[in-house]
Amino acid sequence: MKRGLRLGDRIILIAAGFFFITPFLAAGEYSLRGYGGKGHTWANYTWIFKQLGFGPALFTSLRIAALSVALLLVLMIPTVVYVQLGGRRWARLVEILCLLPIVIPVVSLAIGAQVAMPKALQSTSYELCFFYVIVAMPYVYRALDIGLQSIPLQTLVEASQSLGASWFTTLRRVILPAIASAMTGALFITIALTLGEYTLASLLHFRTFPTWVTNVSQENILGAVALSVATLVGAWLILLILAFIPKFKRNRKGVLAHG
Amino acid sequence: MSNTSVSNAPTQKLGRSVRPDFTILGILPFLALIGYFFFYPIAVVFNRSIRDSHSHLSLTTYKALFSGDYRAAFIGSFELAAYSMAISAVIGAAICVALVKTHGNTKRVISAVAGVLTSTGGIPLAFSFIAAFGQEGLVTKALLKIFHWDIYAGAFDIYNFWGILLVYCFFQAPLMVIIFTPAVENLKVEWQEANETLGGTRLQYFRNVTIPVLFPAFLSSCLLLFASGFSAYATAAAMSNGTIPLVPLVIGNLVDGNVIAGEANQGDALAMGMIFVSIIVFALYAVVLRIARKK
Repeated sequence: MKRGLRLGDRIILIAAGFFFITPFLAAGEYSLRGYGGKGHTWANYTWIFKQLGFGPALFTSLRIAALSVALLLVLMIPTVVYVQLGGRRWARLVEILCLLPIVIPVVSLAIGAQVAMPKALQSTSYELCFFYVIVAMPYVYRALDIGLQSIPLQTLVEASQSLGASWFTTLRRVILPAIASAMTGALFITIALTLGEYTLASLLHFRTFPTWVTNVSQENILGAVALSVATLVGAWLILLILAFIPKFKRNRKGVLAHG
Repeated sequence: MSNTSVSNAPTQKLGRSVRPDFTILGILPFLALIGYFFFYPIAVVFNRSIRDSHSHLSLTTYKALFSGDYRAAFIGSFELAAYSMAISAVIGAAICVALVKTHGNTKRVISAVAGVLTSTGGIPLAFSFIAAFGQEGLVTKALLKIFHWDIYAGAFDIYNFWGILLVYCFFQAPLMVIIFTPAVENLKVEWQEANETLGGTRLQYFRNVTIPVLFPAFLSSCLLLFASGFSAYATAAAMSNGTIPLVPLVIGNLVDGNVIAGEANQGDALAMGMIFVSIIVFALYAVVLRIARKK
């Protein structure tokens, strides 16, 4: 039996909501101010689209995010499945290695990347994909590990193979659907991380969306605030939608639901 | 060689000692990627940090960490991490305790919002706060008008240490909510009912059950907050243009070429210093978790 909310709990939640929403409402109001503080206008928002490099910067960030997600899933799904099935003895090693990128500050990794990576790689923004894979790895590993542990992996694989399925078919038609919600979680984290990542992009001098924002903001603080509000609202919408997808998916289909 | 004879033998005769050579193949792509893009750069930083400008082994860069601007940067980062940890841990824990009693959609929405707040931090958050708490911001004006409280009367400025601390709390408190909620959910309602049956007061329940049960989780969550506050770069960089003494900002300045002659490797030593502090914090975290599991 769960207990109802006490008055004190309600006050805490409402105060917290107020505390967290107010700055964003205030920023929203500020972003609508006219030049020199006169009246309210959409001018700051239309200003965004007139800025040079808006499209390319956003496109670069989206492309890097997509590639990082693809690389991460292609690398981590087989690795985690393998570790849980045949390579049990490596489970501890993989777990510890996957934890390290949280421990080491990104700034330290960035300075290392700048001096250690070959020039050919440093000249293209695809370099960021590899480092975003590293930065997102701890969270993705955890999501996939929990997802795979919650299904009878061994049984599913044996059943699939006794029916004559190849490894690839087993992975694609049995394992992937069963861990769909864990994969969505991993996607969610990677997209959020890569679209907002500033440290590596800025220290390695790449023009991604976040570094572009700080650049244009130096000319027009009203525009920068409008841009930030638009970015936050856009990001929140995407992430909230993604947060609710696993629930729909699980209700609609799912290998385990059928037996 | 015994190795060759073993690998030619039928499968069932394979010795245990030989098997790792093959099973490691499965994690080889993973090892290669994390090795080249994570361990190799860190190793290069370490190698550079222990050399002077003539590539001779030397610890001068490390000595410099204990004096002047670099020392001030470490102290600044430490204070920022400690203050934001303390404030966020208390606020976050209070929200957790209220949150676990909610159900269904309320809970899902609050959890999702907390996740979103922590992961969309950085640059947009910094500018939003400049707008809200700046001299001309709506929050600043409202506080002055309604409560006659001029937040700019004291040391506070959105562009200085206190401004950054404020913003850090806004992404650290939701982080606390996310990492501390599972622990609070483990508090069983039966314990509370047992306490009431035995005639215990709410205060007694809090002191004798809640605190002992939650303390290890609280402590480990605090350590994670500290590590996150200590190494964060984006928000501080956007809000201060790198002028506040914080280690990540100093490293950023050095990387961007504001290097005084003979200090080429100083950034590497600073980076190693940050790694060192982070490793200590996470070692403590591991110890706390181990103690908590034994209980």
